Parts: sequence; structure tokens; C-alpha cells
Amino acid sequence: MAEVVFGSKIMQLLIAFILVSTFMILGSTRLYSCVRAFGIQSFLLACVAGIVAYSTGKYDIYIVALLTLIIKSAVIPYIFIYIIREIKVKKEIELYVNISPSLIIGGTLVVISYYLIRSISIISELSSLALSASMSLVSIGLFIMISRKKALMQMLGILIMENGLFLGAISLTNGMPLLVELGIFFDVLIGVLIMGILIFRINKTFESIDTDLLKNLIG
Amino acid sequence: MVAFYLIGAISSVILNKKDSICSYFSFFSAAAGALIGAIFSISVIFGETFYLTPSQDSYLKFGFFVDKLSAFFILVISISVFAVSIFSTGYVKEYFGKKNIGHLGFLYNIFILSMIFVICANNAIMFLILWELMSIISFFLVVYEHEKPETRKAGFIYIVMTHIGTGFILLSFMIFAGASGSFSFETFNAAGMTMTPLLKDLAFIFAFIGFGAKAGIVPLHIWLPYAHPAAPSNVSALMSGVMIKTAIFMMIRVFFDFLGASGSWWGYVVLAVGTISAILGILYAVVEPDMKRMLAFSSIENIGIILIGLGASMIFFASGKPIISAIAAIAALYHLLNHSVFKGLLFIGAGSILYSTHTKNIEELGGIIKKMPLSAILILIGVLSISAMPPFSGFVSEWLTFQSLLLSFNLNNNFAIIMLSISAAFLALTGALAAYCFLKFFGMVFLALPRSEHARHAKEVNIPMLAGMGIFALLSILLGILPVYVLPVLDRITASFIGTGAFSQSISAGTFGMISIPSSQGISILTPVLLAILLILMLIPAIILLINRKTWQPNYETWGCGQPISTARNEYSANAFSKPVQMWFKSLYRPARETEVTYSSPYLKESFKFESRIEQVFEQYLYNPVVDFVMVKSRKAKLIQTGSIHAYLGYIFGILIILFMFVIAGGS
Repeated sequence: MAEVVFGSKIMQLLIAFILVSTFMILGSTRLYSCVRAFGIQSFLLACVAGIVAYSTGKYDIYIVALLTLIIKSAVIPYIFIYIIREIKVKKEIELYVNISPSLIIGGTLVVISYYLIRSISIISELSSLALSASMSLVSIGLFIMISRKKALMQMLGILIMENGLFLGAISLTNGMPLLVELGIFFDVLIGVLIMGILIFRINKTFESIDTDLLKNLIG
Repeated sequence: MVAFYLIGAISSVILNKKDSICSYFSFFSAAAGALIGAIFSISVIFGETFYLTPSQDSYLKFGFFVDKLSAFFILVISISVFAVSIFSTGYVKEYFGKKNIGHLGFLYNIFILSMIFVICANNAIMFLILWELMSIISFFLVVYEHEKPETRKAGFIYIVMTHIGTGFILLSFMIFAGASGSFSFETFNAAGMTMTPLLKDLAFIFAFIGFGAKAGIVPLHIWLPYAHPAAPSNVSALMSGVMIKTAIFMMIRVFFDFLGASGSWWGYVVLAVGTISAILGILYAVVEPDMKRMLAFSSIENIGIILIGLGASMIFFASGKPIISAIAAIAALYHLLNHSVFKGLLFIGAGSILYSTHTKNIEELGGIIKKMPLSAILILIGVLSISAMPPFSGFVSEWLTFQSLLLSFNLNNNFAIIMLSISAAFLALTGALAAYCFLKFFGMVFLALPRSEHARHAKEVNIPMLAGMGIFALLSILLGILPVYVLPVLDRITASFIGTGAFSQSISAGTFGMISIPSSQGISILTPVLLAILLILMLIPAIILLINRKTWQPNYETWGCGQPISTARNEYSANAFSKPVQMWFKSLYRPARETEVTYSSPYLKESFKFESRIEQVFEQYLYNPVVDFVMVKSRKAKLIQTGSIHAYLGYIFGILIILFMFVIAGGS
């Protein structure tokens, strides 16, 4: 059952790795390594889904796990790398908040998320670990969107948030209905494609994908 | 009727490409719709109330009902629409190839339809939706010539003012809905009886401000002088002639039907506002050089006169004199009908002048009576009507208004008598100024020598345009000569909301179309037919003289006083004509003058430029401070609108963290 699944050592380890991969994104200054870290995070997420599927015996969650593996850890990173190559963007990430303060803020967010989940009493002790991890992912994703200048990083941030939501959903419900999951995957994929196109357009208009330049649009 | 308007709307969109076919289709079907609408409304006035309720669902209850009052307004709309539509088939030729006729035809038809539905709505929510529809479509019509910047400004002012009005209407209806527990107008009727006086007063104030903004009462009138000149002339004829009347309709409905006209001071408010609107409207009209703006100001004046009648009616009603109240209400409705006719005539007349001369400025016109004789005669009828000259229509209704005001000695309330007498005095001044204003209009536009190239190249307008004006002109004459047939009809309508008819008990009709109103000191009699006959008799010698006149030979010698005026520069200008009024009312106009002289040498003046402006007091002292305040606050609010994605995301993030903290603090 759910408590057993999320209480198990292997699960705790995976969730810890997911958090670590998030900090890898937060702590790196290279676009490629960010994308790679995102791929690893998605792969770990697929593993979580796989374990949930194995322990509950629901076949549709296997499909979800497979889809996560394909879309999030293969297709989307590939799209990212394609964009980076096509628009010949500089490989460094430009930051508003430097790496070390970023890491400290990230850590603080994890602590806040942990306390937040702890303070909601209806959640059982065991799945609260996964939930607090998911909360941290959401807040760190948002923080990445705020603190990085490149449009690509905003895209990555929203995908990290999405991963966090996925983790939260699967830990609370042991897998949502397949139809809902399929819908979400479709959304994410289309979202990534649209954002990719948008980045191309921004690049064409401003000769850069620095979203700071969008300030010029206000009247 | 509805079908015809819809056909007109849809066909004009479909036939977008062919300008002329498109205009014939849309405007003729509008005219056909108007004809059926007129027949329908007359049948309701003499028959039973008409109900149509397509949906009786308890959540979505809506429907239409047409009682005598709404039928009268449908009749007014239909008359104007019929004439204006015929006029439009000729008038829109000016836009062929330049603008999209399909859009105009579509909006025009939908606009009329929305006005008719507004009149018929039986539910507050549906009413508000239709009211908004009417406002927004008329906004699109105002900005039809949107390539001009002043038109866009006019549209903006219009839409802001009309939405402020709708906001107040909404407040008023919410008070009713709160009292009645439903949005149906029938329950509003019942709720009006049970509401506390305070709530009634609030509902009255909100409704008066809300509908007043649409009607154009001072000081909510500022949109009228912008919006009406900016719209195409056929549309401004409808907006001024009809649309602002829908607000009067709703005032009557709210004040008499819903609220039962019970508040004793309401009538004074309406009367005072009406008087102020009348006098200020005409004062601004007198000095206005743009003829369409002048007509818009004159609409404010006429709405004021209608409100004087309405206010007097409310005062008499609240004082328990229903018969006199009915007379005043008849006067108001009659003036409303007349105004829609002669203002329609004058607006499309102004449109004709614009069509053939391409200028709206009175100062640039002149002498076009020789070029456009038929238009001139038709417009003259409108001018005489609006100046309240017997035997034309304006005279009868203003006479009735005066009579009802002078009947105030029947009240035993000194305050009311004083108020009504003051109002009558101001009405008299208004009438005189209106005559002065339109004398200037007609004289400067049609007589003397052309003042510019525009006027020199004027041509007579085409037949549909003359026909449209002709219908209005004929109606003005008929309404002026034969009020004896119109008044009983109006009496039926006012009886439906006041309760007693005046006709059998007070007003009586005699031979030769004589109308008499008995008062304690005697009888006031008006016989328009005799007046008309007398006038024609008086004209005969003049005509004989005109026909027999010998060639007139001026001899000028010596000091050259018999010398014919050779250039337009020697003529009296429109500004000069209105100068006396400008000087008498200096404190109101606050004229600003600037002179600019350039010298080629210390002794020779090279050019002399003189500029005089009058100040729009209300814009200056009432609206500008409000606008400035809003702008300052908006600029402060702009500080957080940095335009940076990161900042916006940061706001979300910050709020999220605060909420987290809140949950943590609350949970543990």
C-alpha cells in the first residue's frame, strides 16, 4: 500500500536523488548540464512511478512510468538541446542571483516545504516525505524561473514545477486515472513545443533569448 | 419586424463587396422593419399589452412585453428609423469605396434592434445586457470614421461616460432586486410599494444619474457634443433623435411604475436638472461654430425641456393633482416625439450640407440656398420647428409645457409654485435663445454669399436624401397643425402610468383643431389650424409682392452705401452674430482671447491673428480634476508593472511563500 511504498528505503533514496538533481540544476552555470540534470530527474521520477506500479499492481501506472521515461527524460531534453544548437546560444546561464545564494535559498525552500507539509495534519507521516519533496520542486522551479535570465531556463523551471506536481500527485493518489495522466503528458509536450517556438521568435526579434529585454515591450 | 432588421444586418455583411447593393439592402430592410414596427406599436397603443416570453425557466426568465408606454417609444423609433433609412441610402454614397458599407449597415440594423429590445425588456438582467449592447454598438458607430483622431477621442469619452451610467443603473436595479428578490420588472413594480423611503430615494438617485448620463443631462452631458458630431450623420440623427430617448423611457418607467413617483422632492430634482440642462445646452449651442456640435448641444437643451415636463408631472403627481400631472406628462411626451422628428430632420439636414460641401463649420458656409433650394426649404421647416414657431410642431409642445408649468397656481405649496415659475421663466429664455441660435444657423449657412470654396461648390443632394428630410418635414408640419389628433393618443399613454387621463376631464378639443385647457382664471386656447391659416393669409401679400417685384436697381455714388457686398469678407460672421450672447453670459463662457501680431517693420503690420475660445466649464472644473486624479494613481500603480517577466514571477513567488508561512503558522 501507499504507506509501505513511500516508506520503503528505496523510495526515500529515489526522492532524495530527485532533490539532489534539482540542486544540480540550481547549482550549475552551464545549459547542457542543466538539461542533463533535468533528464536525470525525470528518469528518477519514472523509477518512482515504476515502483508505485509494481507495488500496487496497476498496469496503467506502468504506462505512465514509460511515458515519463520517453517524453520527459528523452524527448524534452532532446528538444532543449536542439534549440540550444539551432539558435547558437551562449552556453552560460546569466543569473540575477548567484550560485551560492541560489543554493542557500533552495535549501531554505526545502526546509519551508518540509514544515509546510508537516503542519498539514491529515497527511500521514510517510507520504509526507514525497509530498515535501514535491513542494520543494515546485518552489525551486519557480525560483529558477525568477532568477535566471535566459528564456530556456524559464522553460526548464516550469518543467521542474511540473515534475514536482507529478511527484505530489502520484504520492497522494497512487497514480491518477490514465486518461488524466495522458492529458497531462500531452499538455507538457505541446507546452514545450510552443515555448520552443516562442523562444525562436524571441531570439529572432531581440537577437538574444534574454527575457530581460522583454522589458522594452512596455509602453 | 425583427426579421427585417436581421435581414438587413446579415445581408449587409454578406453583400459587403458591392457597396451600392449592400446599402440598398440594409437600409431598405431597416425601413421596412420600421414600417411594421410603427403599425405594431399603434396597434398596441389602441389595443392590449403584448407579451412574449420565450423562456420561463426559473433561472433564466426573460421575455418581452410591450405596454402602451413602450409602444409609444417603438413608434418614435420607427418613425425616425424610417425616414433616416431612406435618407441613408443616398447619404452613404459618400462612403462608397472609402469605407466598409457592410459594417455600417450591419451595425445600423443591430443598433436599431437593440434599442427596440431595450424598450421591450421585462427583466433587469436582460435589460442591462441589451442596454450595454446598444451602448457598445453605438460606440462602434461613433468611431466609424476611426481614422480621425478626434473621432477616436469622442468614442473614448462616450464609452467611459456610458459605462459610468450603466454602473449607476446597475446599482439602482440591485436595490430593487434586493427588495423584490427577483430581477423581473413585474416584481420591481410590487417592490416599489414596500421599500423603505431611504431605499427608494437611493434607487431614484442612482437611476436618475445612470439614465441621465445616457440622456445627456448637465453635468453628465460632456459626451454628447463629442460623440454626435463624430458619428456619420444618419447615425447621429438616430442617436440624438432616438437613443437618448430610451433613457427618458426608462426614467418614466422607473420613476412612475417602479417607484410610484412617491418621493416629494424627486420632481424638484428632475425639474431643476431639466431647467439647467435646457438653459446651458442652448447657451453652448449659440456660440458653437460646428453645426453638428451645435445640434448636439441643442439635444441637451431639448432633453432638458422634456425633463422639465416630466419633473413638473412628478411634482403635480406627488401633490395629488393627477390631471395636471397628466397634462405635463403629455407635454413631455409630445415634445419628445417632436424633438425626435425635427432633430432627426436637422441632423440629416446637416448631413446633407456636409455631403455636398464637406464642411461642418458654419463660418465656412453661406449662400447655399441658391445651390440647394429644396434642402434649404426642408431645413427651414426644421429650424422653425425647433425654434417653436407656430404653426410648426415645436410650438405646440412647448406651449403645452408652459401651460402645465403655469397651472402651478393650483397647488397650495409655495415652494412648488416658485420652483415651477422660475423654471417657466428659464424655459422662456431657452426658447428665445433657441430661436436666436437657429436663426444664426440658417442665416449663416444658407443666406448671403459663400464664405469659402466649399460652399461655392455645393450641389443639391440626391432624391433619397431629400425624401428622408421630406418625411420628417411633413411630420413636423402635421404634428404642429393637427395636435388635436395626436393628443388623445398621448393621453392614452400617460393615462397608463399616471392613472387618469387628462383629455376627457381637462383638455378639450374644439372645432378647427382647437385645444383648450381650462384654468381657474379662464381658458387657455390654442388653435393651430387657425394659426396656420392666418399665417398663410399673411404670407399671401408677401408672395404677391415677391412675384410682382420690379428689377431693383441700386444707385450708388458719393459715399458708396448702396454698394452691393462683393466679397464674403464683408459679411457678418457667425461668431459676430453670437457675440452679444457671448458678452452677456461672459461669466459662464469665460472667453479666452489671444491676439498675435507680426510686424514686417516697426510700422507695418504683416499679419494679425485673433483667436478666441470659450471654456467648457464642466470639463475644466469637474472632469479634469477627476481624470488627473485617476492618472496620478495609475502612474503610481505602474511602478509595480515593470514589464519584466522575472518581476511578475517574483510576485507570484512572494505571495506563495507568504501563504506557506501562513499555513505553517496556522497549522502548528
